[in-house]
Amino acid sequence: MNINVILALFFNGIVLGLIQTMVAIGFSLVLGIGQVINFSHGLLFAFGAYVFWYISPIIGYWPAFLISPLIIGIMGYAIEKTLIKRVYGQDPLFGLLITFGLSLAGAELIRMLWGKTTKTVSTPDFAAGQIYFGSIIYSKYRIILAIIALIILLSIWLYMSRSNFGAIVKAGMFDSEMITALGHNLPALRNKVFVMGAVLAGVAGVIAAPLWSIKSEMGTDILMPAFLIALIGGLGSIKGTIFAGLIIGVMTSLGVLVIPRFTDILPYILLVIVLFFKPKGFYGEVTILGAIRGE
Amino acid sequence: MFKFKSTFIISLILVLIFGCFCITSMAVEPIKIGLVSPKSGNYAEHGNMERIGMKLAVEDFGGMVLGRPIELIEVDSETNPDIAARRAKKLIEVDNVKFLMGGVSSSVGAAIGAVCHELGSIFIATNENSDELTGVKFANKHMFRVPPNMAILVRGAAPYVAENLGKKWFFITHDYTWGQSGTRWARFMLDEVGAKEIGEILVPMGTRDFSSHLLQVANSGADVVCVTVGGFDGSALYKQMSEFGIFDKMKVWWTLADYPDSWTLKPEQRGRYGMAEIYHTVTPGLLELSKRIKEGFSDAAVPVVETNSYHGWLGMTAILKAIEHAGTTDVDAVIKAMEGLVICDNLQPDPTYIRPWDHQFIDSCFFIHDLKVPGDDICEVLYTCHAKDFARTISENPVDLTK
Repeated sequence: MNINVILALFFNGIVLGLIQTMVAIGFSLVLGIGQVINFSHGLLFAFGAYVFWYISPIIGYWPAFLISPLIIGIMGYAIEKTLIKRVYGQDPLFGLLITFGLSLAGAELIRMLWGKTTKTVSTPDFAAGQIYFGSIIYSKYRIILAIIALIILLSIWLYMSRSNFGAIVKAGMFDSEMITALGHNLPALRNKVFVMGAVLAGVAGVIAAPLWSIKSEMGTDILMPAFLIALIGGLGSIKGTIFAGLIIGVMTSLGVLVIPRFTDILPYILLVIVLFFKPKGFYGEVTILGAIRGE
Repeated sequence: MFKFKSTFIISLILVLIFGCFCITSMAVEPIKIGLVSPKSGNYAEHGNMERIGMKLAVEDFGGMVLGRPIELIEVDSETNPDIAARRAKKLIEVDNVKFLMGGVSSSVGAAIGAVCHELGSIFIATNENSDELTGVKFANKHMFRVPPNMAILVRGAAPYVAENLGKKWFFITHDYTWGQSGTRWARFMLDEVGAKEIGEILVPMGTRDFSSHLLQVANSGADVVCVTVGGFDGSALYKQMSEFGIFDKMKVWWTLADYPDSWTLKPEQRGRYGMAEIYHTVTPGLLELSKRIKEGFSDAAVPVVETNSYHGWLGMTAILKAIEHAGTTDVDAVIKAMEGLVICDNLQPDPTYIRPWDHQFIDSCFFIHDLKVPGDDICEVLYTCHAKDFARTISENPVDLTK
């Protein structure tokens, strides 16, 4: 086995993991602070890709890259204000059902707006082509994408770990009543977290669009990996989510060498092992049941 | 007297009204044809195109056969065998449909074929290519298959590939019936054409990212990567091959080259070779059919007739001709009329013939190369071959559905 191929697969796994982590972070934060399993999160990823596909030929790559996630953020704001906030503190099943229904309706809306056929987004000219590392060819776009994703994720991590906002969010995951008692506006906090998650999902959709053909079901495809990453990393933990995302990406990528037919089940196996020994995930402070019950 | 007369007249009027109603009802009873075709899932676009072809064929018949209107009932197979089987069963048992067509995915086709065999309806597999549908495993007297199977497609291409593209082959296989069928036949041809297998990757259905697979392929030392991957997965793979510069490193041979895969890519991203079951420029008839698709179906995945739409058209044409020849909708009579049917007005260079013993449609195939050009005419046809030269013989496929 060629060591260069193994290294290339390892790096490829990092790239895939970073994209999935961008979706997973928002999912994890919403679950942690709002105790809602948001099945519509993948929809935001899909809308990010579609909005980018639609507006980039009109306004150019970089303006579309900046504007598309903001549009998704506005969508997230509207979704949280009209639907999600009604289920905080309710039976967790309500949140699950409402967001599941929203994801189905959203996929149908995508089909109504943009049709059922697959769309292709071209790689931007500055990122097209390949880079050679010895005998290994790798996609230039994926390298650039990895750098962008890493910068964004590290920025989020630093912000959440060093800022007052991050401290309040973290505290809110443990005791939302105390946050309110201390005079913080919990509904506004939850809304901000939801919007932040939506923007991140939108960014992930934008950068993933040139990689994979975009179609209305792409939100569903990304949701389960995001859910697994959030659980394995630990709910509400940015560090944990990044760590879990990278592990899953690398594991899936290298798994193609050994068991190409079954790489999809590797994250689930990892989930079972991790939760068996660490029910709160790698860096979580609360289990999923604890999170949705608000314990 | 007056009372009797008025009663008589009223009764006569009522009988006449009732009689007219009965006659009208009998005269307009439609012939129902069930389209169990994917509207979602991996083959949604293929399903869309084949339904377009089917509708155009009905138009060509004037919407009627045996003086009865044709009613199409569409259901979504969701590219799922269990769902497709359930919906096919409902069409037959509840809606009294005797003729079904569609499928696209070979697994789905096998499931629908089994249901139709059990319940005594005809199923035309319009875009399923796995050998097993007309093979020992799944063939049955109620199922007919329109497209060439993988034996035809691969045996027709392998000599050219070995001679002109390269002899060291790496396989990428869609991990289900159809994909395995393509790779199996390519492997079978290795010795015959003097080629060698370098490696294989099995790809589960639903795979969207092939980067890890392509890194292996690019470093395998192969001259040719032999691909049997279809649907959305196929489109994604084709695109990512371009992204990873595979076309610069080796030749790419798609055992079944679907036009929509090429159509969704930008010209500079294309470069594969493959066997296509139809190409829209080979006859004026196909160009005319393409024009009708472009003008009549704005939701068509591609604006020209391609594999899926052509086979939808051909399958529907065949069943309607068979009903016409049989003079009845009795299933056994229509099956007899289908077996041995020759369709000369099939828009192809050579007629289509339906083999009685395995219910396989036999006609032409076209080896193409995708060009990096804009527009609709994006392939060059390198050569044409006929399925009769490459189809399995009865000794290779010991099935006899005429018994």
